[in-house]
Amino acid sequence: MPIQKLTELVEELADCDPKERIELLLDYARSLPALPERFAGLQGPESRVEECQSPIFLFAEKTPEGVQWFADVPLEAPTVRGFVTLLWEGTQGASVDDLAALSYDLISQAGLKEILGMQRMNGLAGVLRRLKKIVVETAAS
Amino acid sequence: MSAQNYADPSVLVSAEWVQQHLNDPSVRVVESSGDALLYPMSHIPGAVKIDWHNDLQDQTVRDYISNEVFENLCRKNGISNETTLVFYGDDNNWWACYAFWAFKLKGHLNCRILNGGRKYWVETAKLPTTSDVPAHPTTSYKVPADLDWRDLRIFREGVLDHVKASLPLVDVRSPKEYSGERTHMEGYPEEGVLRGGHIPGALSCPWSRAVGDDGRFKTADELRAIYEQELHLKPTDDVVAYCRIGERSSLTWFVLKYLLGYQKVRNYDGSWTEWGNVVGVPIVKGALPSS
Repeated sequence: MPIQKLTELVEELADCDPKERIELLLDYARSLPALPERFAGLQGPESRVEECQSPIFLFAEKTPEGVQWFADVPLEAPTVRGFVTLLWEGTQGASVDDLAALSYDLISQAGLKEILGMQRMNGLAGVLRRLKKIVVETAAS
Repeated sequence: MSAQNYADPSVLVSAEWVQQHLNDPSVRVVESSGDALLYPMSHIPGAVKIDWHNDLQDQTVRDYISNEVFENLCRKNGISNETTLVFYGDDNNWWACYAFWAFKLKGHLNCRILNGGRKYWVETAKLPTTSDVPAHPTTSYKVPADLDWRDLRIFREGVLDHVKASLPLVDVRSPKEYSGERTHMEGYPEEGVLRGGHIPGALSCPWSRAVGDDGRFKTADELRAIYEQELHLKPTDDVVAYCRIGERSSLTWFVLKYLLGYQKVRNYDGSWTEWGNVVGVPIVKGALPSS
């Protein structure tokens, strides 16, 4: 089922006019939590989102409650960074099943296509694809 | 001749030059980046944003904006016919070169590229940026009446003739796209094509080889080693460059035409998203130019 918190954040973004949406997405981009020390130096092909031009890495680890995920996104890739932060904030506390069921539609639901253009949507879909994959794999490990 | 020995060093400006001309009303700095949030986040003080997709492309027909729309774009950004434009952007300036090329299509005379683009300005030179959007006085820009872009752009019929005449083509996509193993650039799968491969006879030379680690162009000698010693091109050749939609090949077009002084270089902006979908045109699969 949809993750309540994420649904709220996506709706909030969609309700903004395009100029505010860019500002809000930039606010997200500024507030991505730093990658925990224990993942430093582990960035490699197996953790990279290959659909993105910029070097973007996702990590996941098992916790008593399920799976926690983290991201490393450069400041100079604000679109992906903003989107990743929104996903991160929206999915805290979510179950593995809910993460695995994340819908690709949320990119267009958030109104991102309108401000970024169709041609830039794939990096974001790549992030979602990668996230779902590592969450499921980590849970099964 | 500059230290880098470029054929036309005037088309490249350094970050330091741009910094010295930030308040020069005859110079307008233009950011053209792939990431649409970069400019709103930060940009060179006084720079305007011209988006390769939302501003320069017609949103209905696959083509560039009309002369009238282009005039309005320039007018509202404070660009006059005499303005020296300095383009820069992310991805080692590939979008900036695309905008440069599009402005040349519309006949703008004074176009330059900030060597190193955003990467060099932000990461190496560590020069100031701002999120303030400038308001420049509007102008009365006019596209010249005698516009002639035939030396800059080529359409698919022209490319077919070019192939039949065995004239050189440079495919600047990644090796996997060239061989046909992959039908789109990593990261851009939505620009779909039905066939993977390359135009018969095209030489493979990924665009990024022209750029160094800090985002600046390689020296003329280094560039000649790639395009002349490896690819066996000559400055007198009639060359066509292409990629997927014509953006990466704009960078190669810029390098061959201005940095190495090739006399006739054209960008095939239909590129693989057109050629790979056209019924009946010949293609070649695999790592070699011809089958």
